[in-house]
Amino acid sequence: MASIIDINNIISSSAADLALQQEVQQFYYREALLLDNIKYEDWFALLDDDIEYYMPIRRNRMHRYGKVRSREIAEYTNKDEFAHFDDDKTSMNGRLRKLLSDYSWSENPASRTRHTVSNVIITESEESDTLNVCSAFIVYRNRLETQVDIFVGERHDVLRRSDNALGFKIAKRTILLDQSTIMSNNISIFF
Amino acid sequence: MNTDATDNSTWANDHIKGLFNDEKGTLDARIYNDEALYELELERVFSRSWILLGHEDHVPNTGDFLNTYIGEDPVLLVRQKDASLKVFLNQCRHRGMKLSRDDSGNARAFVCTYHGWAHDISGELIDVPFEEQAHCDRLDKHEWSPLQARVATYRGLIFANWDEEAPSLEKYLSDCKPYIDTMFNRTEAGTEVIGGMQKSIIPANWKLAAEQFCSDMYHAGTMSHLSGVEAGLPEGVSLDNIEIPSSGNQFRAKWGGHGTGYFVDQPGLLQAIMGPIITDYVTASPQAETASNRLGSRMFGQRMMGQHMTIFPSCSFLPGINTIRTWHPRGPGSIEIWTFIVVDADAPEHIKAEFRKQNIRTFSTGGVFEQDDGENWIEVQKVFRGNKARKTKLNVQMGLGDSTTEHPDFPGRIGGVYSEDAARGFYQHWLRMMTEPNWDTLKP
Repeated sequence: MASIIDINNIISSSAADLALQQEVQQFYYREALLLDNIKYEDWFALLDDDIEYYMPIRRNRMHRYGKVRSREIAEYTNKDEFAHFDDDKTSMNGRLRKLLSDYSWSENPASRTRHTVSNVIITESEESDTLNVCSAFIVYRNRLETQVDIFVGERHDVLRRSDNALGFKIAKRTILLDQSTIMSNNISIFF
Repeated sequence: MNTDATDNSTWANDHIKGLFNDEKGTLDARIYNDEALYELELERVFSRSWILLGHEDHVPNTGDFLNTYIGEDPVLLVRQKDASLKVFLNQCRHRGMKLSRDDSGNARAFVCTYHGWAHDISGELIDVPFEEQAHCDRLDKHEWSPLQARVATYRGLIFANWDEEAPSLEKYLSDCKPYIDTMFNRTEAGTEVIGGMQKSIIPANWKLAAEQFCSDMYHAGTMSHLSGVEAGLPEGVSLDNIEIPSSGNQFRAKWGGHGTGYFVDQPGLLQAIMGPIITDYVTASPQAETASNRLGSRMFGQRMMGQHMTIFPSCSFLPGINTIRTWHPRGPGSIEIWTFIVVDADAPEHIKAEFRKQNIRTFSTGGVFEQDDGENWIEVQKVFRGNKARKTKLNVQMGLGDSTTEHPDFPGRIGGVYSEDAARGFYQHWLRMMTEPNWDTLKP
């Protein structure tokens, strides 16, 4: 099993051009506003037709099972195994349909969320119109009366240039949540 | 049960017996949120019942271990050299530290990280640092080894029980084995696990979840999961265009609090959850025919659909969907849910992949069905904080008096699919476990 993400390649990459850095960060800030303002249809429209939206499970493993932080099999479930999310366009459309339903109790009334995105590192991609981007997020969720959840983690995106209003579509998103046991009653929001 | 939890409890047996009435179908909500009852549950229910720990496939090789729990007690499940299984308290007898802290793996020994007491994979204390100097041969290492539990398996599922007096797992499962076999005995090859244990915490009482899987088809057929159903409908098809199934049955075990329910010949719910490929696989494929031959009838092999089931107290699964979970209690108001997926070991690869994909989509932390269960359970739990809300009787009366033991197709005590007889069986057994002092009266 190959590693999920080549983190060493990201760490050793040179800084992106300032204008490109600005462009990608501004895309993320606007994307966050869509999620935080319950503009579900607009956010789902950012997912390209070949979207892979993936969140593996993280495990507690001793060092001797492998280089844990180098994303090898030891810490993360692999693509043949169980995951929190592993969605394509069809299943993501189903999730959108659920969100828009009057019967979607987990998000009706909707959660109040704040997606904060930082630590944006852009690396080269083999394809000319795409960028590989690593970022960190803190997502605060407050729901109904007093429920509070905090989700923190890392995203690895493949962004594809687009003529849409925000300039990019998301072709691939791998979400590495910094939790092993999920400390919330569900994951009914997106990252 | 002359132990501390009992001696110190504010709950006398007569009071506990008033919390549920099997004949009337009335339930006192304090069973879900009372701290003192919870302490008794850990002792009288979780330390006397068979608890699901995992699947044989989780620990295939010598030294393979799974770090898990019986109630709130951390235990190690370890495969032995002779292929047998051991389960022992994950606790060093010196100062109580855990012997192992990673989720799973392979070990030759378990060495406490505090002072280095070393244990072999069977849980025997074998080495103590500076033993001669510190203990001068006075330490009986066998005596100071971790507490061992009983272990037994059924169709690949591994259960453990602390209680030496409890009935065997075989007897404990009572008359519900045919209903377990619809998921775990479909093929000679048995089942295998799709890797990865999903864990999450829901601030709700464990019985809300366990009873729902035992008895509650009602929530699936009415309100809870309508948006989950919508998420799986083809483009252009709306909820108005579909018929929610209503024909099926529920089974209440004659002993033990176990229960199950299912639709018959109505694939609608299964289709909405698992999609057409899996629905075909479990109801119409050559493999489904094989299952019918093996299980002795097309009814058990192919015609029961959308089945839910709980083995008392905390093991639940959904045959045909193939999610399986243990509801580990974490105080009266919290469950740690451990979920894994099984598939027929000889299923085609694309079927295994489809089971994985649809489980992630529907019955996982982010699942379009599971999300709404989590929402309902935590709100229920919050309501029970109210002084009046927790004392108001709850209604568990569906199908009261309607069950029969004379059903032509199904053995055991059978009611309608929207009955709550299995819930009454669950709570009645809970009541007995909480109040009967020993197995002389409790036994099957």
